[in-house]
Amino acid sequence: MRGVLWIARAHIMTALREKGTLFWFIIFPVFLLVLLALMFGRIGNVGEMNFDLGLVNLDTASSTATVDFAAIVERAFEELGKRPALLKEPLFTLHRPSSGDDAEAFLKGEENMLRLGRRAAVVVIPKGFSEQVRAHAMPSSFSGSTATPASPAGETILVYYTKGSDASELASSIVEQVLARVNQEVLAQAGLFRSQETVPVETRFIGGKEIRYVDFLLPGVILMGFFTNGLFGVPGAILFSRDRRILKSYWVTPLSVGRYLAGFSLGHLALCLLQFILLALLGRFAFGARVSFAQPIPVLYLLLGALTFMAFGFLIAAVVRTANAGMALANLLNLPMMFLSGLFFQVGGLPSFLKVVVYANPVSYLAEGLRTSLGIGTGQFSETLTFAVPLAWIAVCVLIASRRLSWDVVR
Amino acid sequence: MRNAGEILMRVTGLVKRYGAVCAVDAISFVVPRASVFTILGPNGAGKTTTLEMLEGIREPDGGEIEVFGAKLKRVTRGVRERMGVLLQDGNFEPYLRVRETVALFASFFRRALPVDDVLSSLSLEDKKRAAVRTLSGGQRQRLAVAVALVNDPELIFLDEPTTGLDPQARRNMWSIVTDLKRRGKTIILTTHYMEEAEALSDHVCIMDQGRIIAEGSPRELASGLGQETIIEFVASRLRPADLEELGHCGKAARVDGERVTLNTDDLVRTMEALLAWSKERGIPLANMTVRQPNLEDVFLSLTGRRLRE
Repeated sequence: MRGVLWIARAHIMTALREKGTLFWFIIFPVFLLVLLALMFGRIGNVGEMNFDLGLVNLDTASSTATVDFAAIVERAFEELGKRPALLKEPLFTLHRPSSGDDAEAFLKGEENMLRLGRRAAVVVIPKGFSEQVRAHAMPSSFSGSTATPASPAGETILVYYTKGSDASELASSIVEQVLARVNQEVLAQAGLFRSQETVPVETRFIGGKEIRYVDFLLPGVILMGFFTNGLFGVPGAILFSRDRRILKSYWVTPLSVGRYLAGFSLGHLALCLLQFILLALLGRFAFGARVSFAQPIPVLYLLLGALTFMAFGFLIAAVVRTANAGMALANLLNLPMMFLSGLFFQVGGLPSFLKVVVYANPVSYLAEGLRTSLGIGTGQFSETLTFAVPLAWIAVCVLIASRRLSWDVVR
Repeated sequence: MRNAGEILMRVTGLVKRYGAVCAVDAISFVVPRASVFTILGPNGAGKTTTLEMLEGIREPDGGEIEVFGAKLKRVTRGVRERMGVLLQDGNFEPYLRVRETVALFASFFRRALPVDDVLSSLSLEDKKRAAVRTLSGGQRQRLAVAVALVNDPELIFLDEPTTGLDPQARRNMWSIVTDLKRRGKTIILTTHYMEEAEALSDHVCIMDQGRIIAEGSPRELASGLGQETIIEFVASRLRPADLEELGHCGKAARVDGERVTLNTDDLVRTMEALLAWSKERGIPLANMTVRQPNLEDVFLSLTGRRLRE
């Protein structure tokens, strides 16, 4: 037992002292978590979204009118252009013509900016807007619409956006909601709208609670960390030690292959545990992840994941001759196994030939099993399958490795 | 301590083939306890293959090994507990420290010496916190010896222990081997340095092309060449005819670059003839030495080749 523990200790110490291994074990998964959480994790969070919005008021003549409806609309957007709190982003960064600018020329410029993707949307208050609203909305109203005039009276506010840009479509939808609220206020003031008579609407997520991206991401990054450790770390360490005749030095002692592999596996699992703790702490305290892994089923999935990928590592070590060939094979398996698995993105809409990879890939079952057990989304596979497929892969890998893994000497 | 002179290992008809090549061709020898048994031979003679079969990491294709009084088909865990091995091409984890490496190997044995005692016996205390990758060649080899000795073995295999070491480190290794022998250890050593075999061995086996071509103590082997004396000198601008004339001075003459070696059974007559030849031809005899034959000469006389050719 002492030999097993010492082999485990040597494996851990070597991994933590070698810069290359340390990068793949610790730095890469941490970097990936930080990068993906920063890129996608803030979408949908108030105070962490900001759109560039062009706002052009062509109704400057209305300033003499008793009620300047154009100014009301402008003020609504101005409010949303203010920073809600220190360190928070305002919803809109407004781009408006300065006093003395030709508004028509400014509008042309803003349309151009929209085409170039430097504006999410452009809102245009047309000439004579206030006058017409007063004529029709008192007691009539005005309406907001996207580019198409919705009212024959001509008091339409134009919202330009670009199709195909998520940011632009999201911004235009928010602008429409803002205008609808302004519209309600005007109608309410005119006594034509009573908010208590509206039908209440509430949006709910299937699965019972809202899923935040960081909660979806964190289990995926943890599994990816185990995956990288298994696919690269295991064959790398075994083949390097074999090629450098480090293992040969062990084989002239009473150490058996079984004891060596037990120690190696123990060390590998300890490294996975260390990596898990680091990522879970970072996810919770730096990105506010609420997902809790301290439950029996998620722990089982994590252990199964670490063992499955370790078995793949043994398989790679068994079918190649050198450490370089091992790294090449690991790279070849890495991309399809990692990305055709739902680890980071949903894979529902893939073509059939790629779905075959998804269904054969143990990562798909582990990712889904772990997420479902954590209450993050629902799965397409049964719980039995999410355990059975990785276990079957472990059996296949261990069987091949036990027959093919060469120690270069008689063992 | 058991009796010196007792047979610790007996090898009979050991064979190893790699395809059509017979790397070790039915060799037999015995290793007495508390002695240094050396297998001397050029690179590719089959020394390492022989040792690796005795260490249990190569399977023999034929023959029999008897060690510690038991005949073995395979080297067992029990035998490994009693032996220590310094491999020719062995290596250690480069990122582990010296003390950690010795402790790691100590953990593989049921019984091991205190790690710090082993380190101090090999003057490695100062380096115990150094990473293996930072060690010099000599320090690394001392670490390999420390690892081989950590279980206080009765039988120690040292495969080319001084290859690649500088003269100082080589001398250090020699004193380690001498000390081990003094402590009653049995050492099986391979080398292609005849000085090493002469300096350390009680018994030498000369191996060439998978076979044992001579064996005995260094003195016995050298005396096998009879009463011969070797005269060596440096002479430049020699013609083929000069070599023939020199051959008449002694028993046999060889030229290796500008270095001339003459074997003779009659030193006085040969010296007189040689000096006369030098005067007549006007060729000075620079750096002349007269010596008794050594293991290199034995190998040369048996194979017609030098050990390091």
